[in-house]
Amino acid sequence: MNIQHIMGVVDASFKARQSIEKALREIDRRALNAMVLVKRHGNALAGYGVVAQAFRERAAILKESAAHLQERIAPLIEAYMRILQHQRFSASFAQMLEHNSLHEKHCPGLINTQKKWQKIMLEEEAEAGRVLEQLLEMVQQLQESIEEQEYVVTNGRIEAALAENTGAPLMRVSRDMGEAVRTVALAIRSYRHQLESLEHESSTRL
Amino acid sequence: MKAAPVFEAGSHRWWIIYDQDEHRVIDSNVYVMESNEQSIILDPGGFEIFPQVFAALVEAVPPSSLKAAFVSHQDPDIASSLPLWHACNEKMEWHIPKLWEGFIRHYGALDAPLQNIDDEGGSVIIGGRRLEFIPAHYLHSSANFHVYDPEAKILFSGDVGAALLPPGHDAWVDRRDKTGRAFAEHISKAKYFHERWMPSNAAKKNWIERVSQLDIQYLCPQHGAIYSGDNVKRFIDWFDKLNVGSATA
Repeated sequence: MNIQHIMGVVDASFKARQSIEKALREIDRRALNAMVLVKRHGNALAGYGVVAQAFRERAAILKESAAHLQERIAPLIEAYMRILQHQRFSASFAQMLEHNSLHEKHCPGLINTQKKWQKIMLEEEAEAGRVLEQLLEMVQQLQESIEEQEYVVTNGRIEAALAENTGAPLMRVSRDMGEAVRTVALAIRSYRHQLESLEHESSTRL
Repeated sequence: MKAAPVFEAGSHRWWIIYDQDEHRVIDSNVYVMESNEQSIILDPGGFEIFPQVFAALVEAVPPSSLKAAFVSHQDPDIASSLPLWHACNEKMEWHIPKLWEGFIRHYGALDAPLQNIDDEGGSVIIGGRRLEFIPAHYLHSSANFHVYDPEAKILFSGDVGAALLPPGHDAWVDRRDKTGRAFAEHISKAKYFHERWMPSNAAKKNWIERVSQLDIQYLCPQHGAIYSGDNVKRFIDWFDKLNVGSATA
């Protein structure tokens, strides 16, 4: 386990989380703006109203998914830190054995304990791998949700283009929505790459 | 463990990490002060709770923001996690009481950058904000410091104010209660700790004189719950009257 690599991922995860939270708040605001605009124009923008409503509903789902993602990050970090902790024990035993081979003969307990720590670390690495897999699945789901949201944004652009008198403000709202969705998509993609690099490191080591 | 905000004003934030899941070791609070994307961790905790503390910390700040750690005294629940933090971030500077340097290195970080704090105290700048190291010797350790943040009006008080609370405890002594009843109930869980772990009435008087000159809105102990507002004065008055070093079996 390369601790500096994990630190890099933890940092990236923190930044991605902040970026996702901020962009999701932005999406929610944009959706609300769109709905207000639709209400103001009554039946003339009924088509866009459907889009705005869908956008808001999808934003709520995204928020919910992102919250679950966060719940899985803490156990992953904790699992890696437990490995670090046990590596310390194991390393001090290994050092002792390296310095004096007689320990092996006179104190077989040392070898047994060393083996025990190695076994624990393997189990913990397997556990961390499982949590990482679940996390990647969640990220995948979140990416799918974002793709659906992008589809809603495209529909919004079409509706805005069809609206004759109020096209310009609707186009602006649609563009803002699109930007907010893109920010989330980029943050999640970058986060996924970070997690995949961890997964790659684990699989090559095992 | 959970991370909860204690104070926030723009880019200046304090967090408490509290209510540990491992109950075979004494329950400890860890604090983090963040300013302009730099942070310091105060009494980072024991070896056994490190994974929990670290996981909770990243709820609050990115680990790369950690520039320093403060160690109030040499006890294992305060600093035995040092080699693990050092493995995560070798550049982190450790501010420790000078008297304990050779002892703290026993935790297994011979090459960690330790910055000694002289008996008179000192200060550190984190993200442009100055934190003061306030002497609190013999409370309980013979070389012991607390940390004061004059802008946030927070005093991190180490073992002073500590209470032994059950799992699932709150981070605060009830802030809504204005009658003092919540304080009275809480302090019953702090009494034995202070009578037993604090050895010197003279040191206690000296500390009270010193901190009475500070404007304190939050008194944050390393065990138990945070005293805020009127509860700060209630605590100092209560401590003043307590006969410490008196609870041997």
